[in-house]
Amino acid sequence: MTEFLEQAVWGPLRELGQQAILNLSSLVGMLILLILGLVLGWVAKEVVYGILRILRFDRLADRLGIGPVVERTGLARSSSYLAGQIVQGLIVLTALLAGLNALGTPLTRNLVERVFLYLPHLLAAMLVLIAGVLIARFLGRSVLIAAVNANLPSARLLSGITRLFVVALTVVAALDELGISRTTIIVTFAITFGGLVTAAAIAFGLGARDLARDLLQSQFRPKVEKEMADTMRHI
Amino acid sequence: MAEEVLTDRVKEEISALAPLDIIVGIPSYNNAATIGSVVTSAQAGLLESFPDRKALIVNSDGGSKDGTVEAFKHACRDGHSLTIEHPVYPVHHLTTPYHGLPARGNAFRTLFRIAELAGARALLVVDAGFHGVAPGWFNPFLDAILNKEFDYAVPLYRRHKYDGALTNCIVYPLMRALYGRRIRQPIGGEVGISGRLARHLLTRNIWNTDVARYAIDIWMATAAVAENYKVCQVRMGAKSRDLRDQSSDLSTILVQVVGSVFGLMETYDSIWRNVLGSLPTPLMGDPCEAPMDPVSVNIPRLHASFQQGVRDLRPIYEIVFTREQLSELEAHASQPLDRFSLPEELWVGLIYEAALAHHRRAMDREHLLKSLAPLYLGWVASFARQTENEDSSKADERIEKLCLAYEQLKTYLINQWPLA
Repeated sequence: MTEFLEQAVWGPLRELGQQAILNLSSLVGMLILLILGLVLGWVAKEVVYGILRILRFDRLADRLGIGPVVERTGLARSSSYLAGQIVQGLIVLTALLAGLNALGTPLTRNLVERVFLYLPHLLAAMLVLIAGVLIARFLGRSVLIAAVNANLPSARLLSGITRLFVVALTVVAALDELGISRTTIIVTFAITFGGLVTAAAIAFGLGARDLARDLLQSQFRPKVEKEMADTMRHI
Repeated sequence: MAEEVLTDRVKEEISALAPLDIIVGIPSYNNAATIGSVVTSAQAGLLESFPDRKALIVNSDGGSKDGTVEAFKHACRDGHSLTIEHPVYPVHHLTTPYHGLPARGNAFRTLFRIAELAGARALLVVDAGFHGVAPGWFNPFLDAILNKEFDYAVPLYRRHKYDGALTNCIVYPLMRALYGRRIRQPIGGEVGISGRLARHLLTRNIWNTDVARYAIDIWMATAAVAENYKVCQVRMGAKSRDLRDQSSDLSTILVQVVGSVFGLMETYDSIWRNVLGSLPTPLMGDPCEAPMDPVSVNIPRLHASFQQGVRDLRPIYEIVFTREQLSELEAHASQPLDRFSLPEELWVGLIYEAALAHHRRAMDREHLLKSLAPLYLGWVASFARQTENEDSSKADERIEKLCLAYEQLKTYLINQWPLA
């Protein structure tokens, strides 16, 4: 009887207890890693924020056009604070992944492996987005100045379209990098832009026939001087 | 060791002629139609005023394809002459310089080296596209350098009150306020340089920069004034209008000219920050009452450009100018043309803020400079409207008033510069 109880009850219970202790230690290990990550992340955020403030990173970000975007979107109170938060996030994420890995189950190992494999794509997408915002801003400004200096009445509209187009392209490229519904996004983008261009062409053709004619005439026929020309030299 | 810009053959030719007193340099690029008359006048002028001086006429060509070099050789049948080709790289053709001559800086570098090698006392540079240059034109320049021992002589042409608007409202008053010398036309094109200054300029490391590429005249004038060389102005008649400077559009001219003045503020900041007020520059030559070409200005168009600029470029101006300046600009932009007038203080404040924004790289510098175009047109419209019924002397008084505003407000620039 004693032998039976040992084999049928106490043995499995002991095994379960041992396994529970083993898992509990892994769980405690994970919690310790997570807490460590949170503390380290907070300290790193404060250090990065402080250093970047001393280095006047916010001014550089403003010049590059990142500052106003951060401000407008309410992402953070300043660009240097955002940089600190990114570092904090990365440290916490790393701690979380290390903790999950410490659990040692096939499921968590698999999850950690997948996240690590995905990280480069996430980083690349972020870089693409940042570059896109900067390029959109630069090109938008170039178009705005050129259009104003050419006395085009719709200078701001042209500049806005340029920025929108570049940002849209960037978002598509970033999502493509992340592998999110790749085909759907590209098709949606193509249809939307194709549709917009077609709609604009039809609207222009129907609603502004005279304007289109005048525009083409001014491009391809010799100009008839209506206004008095300036003959002053600037230098 | 400095890079050699002359070939061995040219060096031998010059050594055989050395020592020389005068070198007349004629940079050219597709000037076959005019270079002959420039050479003929130079030869006649040298023979008439300096018959006992040993002179050499040098054509530094930038790869003309219209027979300029042949025209030069044909015109130089008597006297010493030399034809060389200064290097012109593809980059020089990317943007048309405001003076219309690609690699003008390289032409000057070549001429400076020739002057150095020949031990010349005076170098006179005349544009090959200069219409109607007379033999008497050369004498006052060479006299200033050879006999009166000036190092840098710039022409003072008689110009219509609206002509050279950028020089009148930015280049002249700003350079005058910065370096304390009143050079009325610092970028006149033609220039007389002493051998001493030519040798000094040759040693400077600017030959592969945008300053040499686009604004060699501004750099030479700034260097001469800032480094205390003896500078004078030579009264000339009216310069025939070839409109070469209009081969570039306004925004490009602003980038090249104003960008160079702003850029040189970095180079010479230890000098101009210690200068207040200004001194007159000696005037050579006799007053000349030659007739000037008429100039027309379309004031309503300029005013409309200003209004559009203030309205549409606000996001850019917000980065560059103060809130008060923006409000003032908007208030003036809302004025009808018959009451439109920009005050001198506002204009000077805008230029100083733009210089500070350029210094602290508040945005892409080309964007900053190009965005000044509508404001400049606004100033021209305001000036033209104010002086519509005034003669040239009254217009000059207004420019003088503007210059004084630049000088009075300079303390602000000096104080803000290190903080920018």
